[in-house]
Amino acid sequence: MTGKRLDLRGVFQIRELPILIYVVVMIAVFSIVIGGFFSLKSVENITRQIATVGIVSIGMTLVILTGGIDLSVGAILSFAINIGAQGIIAGWPMWVVYPFMLALGLILGWLNGFLITRIAVPALIITLGTLNIYRGVIMVITKGRYITPIPKSYEAIGSGYIPFIFLALVLAVFIYISLNTRFGRNLLAIGGAEQSAVYSGVPVRRYKMIVYTISGVLSALAGMILVGKSGFIQPQAGLGYEMSAIAAVVIGGTSIFGGSGGVLGTFLGSVLMGLILAGLTMLAVNPYWVGLITGVLIILAIALDTVRQLRK
Amino acid sequence: MQRVRSGNWRVLIVLGAVNVVIMGLLTALSPTFLSYGNLSAVMLRMSELAMLAIAETIVLIAGGFDLTIGAVMALSATVFGTLHVAGLPFPAILALALLAGIAVGLLNGFLVVALRLQPFIVTLATMSIVRSVVYGLLKGNVLSQLPERFLDLGYVWVLKIPLLFLVVVSTAVLAIVLLRSTVIGRRMYAIGGNERTAFLSGVHVNRMKYLVYALSGFISSLAGLIYTARIRAVVPDMGITSPLEVITAVLIGGTAITGGKGSVFGSLLGILAMYLLLNGFNLLGLNPFWQVIILGVILIYVVGQENIIRGLRAFLSRGPRRKA
Amino acid sequence: MINIEHVSKGFPGVQALNDVSFVIQDGEVHGLVGENGAGKSTLIKIMSGIYPDYEGVILFDGVPRRFAAVHEAQAGGVATIFQELTVIRELSVAENIYLGREPVRRGGRLDWNAMWTKSREVLSFLDAPLDPRAPVGKLAVANQQLVEICKALVLNSKIIIMDEPTSSLTEHEVRQLFALVCRLRERGITILYVSHKIEEIFEICDSVTVFRDGRHIATVQKNATTPDQVISMMVGRSLNMMFPERTARRGELLLSVYGAGRDGEFRDVSFDLYEGEILGFAGLIGAGRTELARALFGAAALNAGEISLHGRAIGHFSHPSQALARGVAYLSEDRKREGLMLELSIRENMSLTVLHRISHYLFLRRRRERELVDSYIRRFKIKMTSVDQLVESLSGGNQQKVVISKLLMTEARVFIFDEPTRGIDVGAKYEIYKIMNDLTVEGRGILFISSELPEVLGVSDRILCMREGKIVQEFSRAEADPEKVMRVLTGGRAA
Repeated sequence: MTGKRLDLRGVFQIRELPILIYVVVMIAVFSIVIGGFFSLKSVENITRQIATVGIVSIGMTLVILTGGIDLSVGAILSFAINIGAQGIIAGWPMWVVYPFMLALGLILGWLNGFLITRIAVPALIITLGTLNIYRGVIMVITKGRYITPIPKSYEAIGSGYIPFIFLALVLAVFIYISLNTRFGRNLLAIGGAEQSAVYSGVPVRRYKMIVYTISGVLSALAGMILVGKSGFIQPQAGLGYEMSAIAAVVIGGTSIFGGSGGVLGTFLGSVLMGLILAGLTMLAVNPYWVGLITGVLIILAIALDTVRQLRK
Repeated sequence: MQRVRSGNWRVLIVLGAVNVVIMGLLTALSPTFLSYGNLSAVMLRMSELAMLAIAETIVLIAGGFDLTIGAVMALSATVFGTLHVAGLPFPAILALALLAGIAVGLLNGFLVVALRLQPFIVTLATMSIVRSVVYGLLKGNVLSQLPERFLDLGYVWVLKIPLLFLVVVSTAVLAIVLLRSTVIGRRMYAIGGNERTAFLSGVHVNRMKYLVYALSGFISSLAGLIYTARIRAVVPDMGITSPLEVITAVLIGGTAITGGKGSVFGSLLGILAMYLLLNGFNLLGLNPFWQVIILGVILIYVVGQENIIRGLRAFLSRGPRRKA
Repeated sequence: MINIEHVSKGFPGVQALNDVSFVIQDGEVHGLVGENGAGKSTLIKIMSGIYPDYEGVILFDGVPRRFAAVHEAQAGGVATIFQELTVIRELSVAENIYLGREPVRRGGRLDWNAMWTKSREVLSFLDAPLDPRAPVGKLAVANQQLVEICKALVLNSKIIIMDEPTSSLTEHEVRQLFALVCRLRERGITILYVSHKIEEIFEICDSVTVFRDGRHIATVQKNATTPDQVISMMVGRSLNMMFPERTARRGELLLSVYGAGRDGEFRDVSFDLYEGEILGFAGLIGAGRTELARALFGAAALNAGEISLHGRAIGHFSHPSQALARGVAYLSEDRKREGLMLELSIRENMSLTVLHRISHYLFLRRRRERELVDSYIRRFKIKMTSVDQLVESLSGGNQQKVVISKLLMTEARVFIFDEPTRGIDVGAKYEIYKIMNDLTVEGRGILFISSELPEVLGVSDRILCMREGKIVQEFSRAEADPEKVMRVLTGGRAA
């Protein structure tokens, strides 16, 4: 009767089951409706979509668990790759550029955390502000221009099954953390009843800063994976990622109020989001409809969650 | 320790003074500032922002939150433009454009009331949906084919003041009267103050919420029409930065994000202050991208100023913080 | 032994504690009583580490300690069970017990086995049949409280402070709590028991300390004093008559309720209320009285039943506005969260229920509002600097007056008072009873809900006993006595 095995069973409680079903249904529907859905090339695209949204969403899950929110993830993603790419332009080798990008994500995430914990302003407002600040800085530095060409070596991270491996790694690490470390369990306490957590000696401020920093780093990682295929980096990268991430998180069963939910559910949610995004692209649907679908999904997911909360 | 209510007066006076100071500075730095041409251009350009600010103020005071203001503005313009291209008569497209805004407002109201969802997330989602619809309808294009009668409105001046600006002024006056002097306005403050108390005191909370979001939608769609008349085109990206700008201005103007407090007048002063700042930047030749950055900083500062100042003082007097 | 020596603490505008000194002996159950504002909660917060700034010294076994944070106090052996429980609903019982101090193995990995085993030990010591792995959110309030007590034990607390521990417990659970307190005492743990309920203090405590207006008045052994003496020390005067004399006379039939029911909460409720009458509703927590009140007022839906006013059937109210329009007003038990809008002014709070009276069609008549509000401020002598002052800056007592004014302003015929004296000191309670009496002299009727038996029996003309959602018995004032009523409420038959 070890801790981990029992907890896995607990994790697969009712909450995650519906989404799993949706995912399976969706895969089935898409593969029937769209010819070539499962061709090698499309699977590669799909996994890259899922991986990028998924990685960002895992960071967002931790943030939302503590009762916060991070609207700047897309901006951080864009910042990391656009400013990081200045290194490519300057001729830095890849093993310098990648860490640089991650470092940028770390710093911006840390900055979010710093502001949120030091100034008693809702995370909503702070990240709304930083979202614009970061995007503004990107525009100033890149002057709105695309960055091209990108050396082929940068495609490696985004091709084949590598994105999915990254996602799986990140997922594994954070499932472990959220089930088996003090930090992970205490996040639920912070989101559920922050005052109690403070009284019990949980280092709330420190944990919150860590959580936003993680979100920043993961956004940067997702950006790195995104860079590969298109051959250029644009300042508008990551637009709408915060919406997709929030959607994945709430669809995956994490309560928007904080205090309940988990990383595994978010993974399933992001699989769903990724499938939908990829499917729509392949159906040559106007990309603008993505916003509509994301919005509707978020509303549905939160409505369900609210009903669940009310029953308590 | 007491804080006197409508001692929003203090905020208003400070804000008024700030505006005067900024105007003074700008006049000194750039002689064209106080010219009739520049001032009327400023007034015009502020029109739609002011309208959106009025809409958002009403929603915030009633304890809600509306991120859809910019999107609805774009939606009404889009509906107006595309229906015109489709050949419908002028009065019809005007009405439908306004109705579109009201419809979105009612949708927001429904989600907030009937499904009891949090306004922020709800309007975040509906904003996304509305934007999608806008892009979908316009297919990314700018629409410049618009009714003559409508475009002419942009040139109508009454007593040397642009007609469009007068529309803004009337909306503002009506909103001020509504909030300060009517029973309905008092109920809005009550709901924002404490919903349960308002309910138990006999206020029809749900009906009021629908009203508030519908009003916001209506005013936002009106703003869209004004904007379109002014720039003589329908642009798909219109209003995309509005939520940030408007909410920042409204918060600067003394409206609380938690509701129950605030005034339209304050919000308008806030818009003026922000707009003068940005106008000043343009005159000084500052990179427009910087504006977004500064807005972000201002937003954070405004909402957190008490705490920022307190934190700064503590930090400076005690040195680096001890372990959390 | 805990020595509290010359402890003072002030806030802007009020001196919460003024040179307080007394001793808490080892292993005793020490009661702390006092009116609202007497300083009890300030002292608790100081001892718990919430307020590190204060004058004076607190010595624990001779060693002066000053706690800068709650977990420091916990490390120092002081654990507090606050009135508002602070459990984390999503986490399990064991995780709540060990919050912030979860046992870890090498490398930061949680040691679940250790957590569960140790939790089980503590739970069995307290005779609590709880599964350490169960999520706390699903537990009843009394069990959640048990979890908090476990937490205190696991901290090796030498003193456990309990702040109004019985406020949300049923009678049965209160018994269990007392048994638990005894067991804790046997283990050598000191208990500081803070409560308004004098009967409880006299049952469970060894000694009692009385605070008044931030000062220490006395510390006495239970055997050396009586409840009356303690009350007079709390209040500073002796209250012979705790309840005003009922002078109103019964008039016409005012309100009739037939067969009222709401699924899952109450059913088959029928009663009459006459002008000039105070109809008391006695019951234990969960009996359904507040639910009944809310449904009658239109704040919740009535699934069955009818209401008549002055003999005319009116179905039921589907919204509070309807009830208010018909002259039925409701005072909620949670004044701060349901009676006031803290960030609005006194004027705006008071006039909310009577907007139609201070307006002309759509528009507000400011002068009329001023006159009305001023008259009530004078009548209740509300202490304020300006009518536009924010309500949150008023003292608790004055806030209460604002809520009452707001209610009385409606000039309703039927008033529903739900726990109007909860959390209020003895002196203010008496004022409320007087107000109720005056209302009935004017010919109005009052439905009076209270969980304090002496109060219900002392104030009401007739008493309805509710249990598990039904009215089970009616007593007249003359026939009722506390034992009979309690027996009915808990399920026995009245003699």
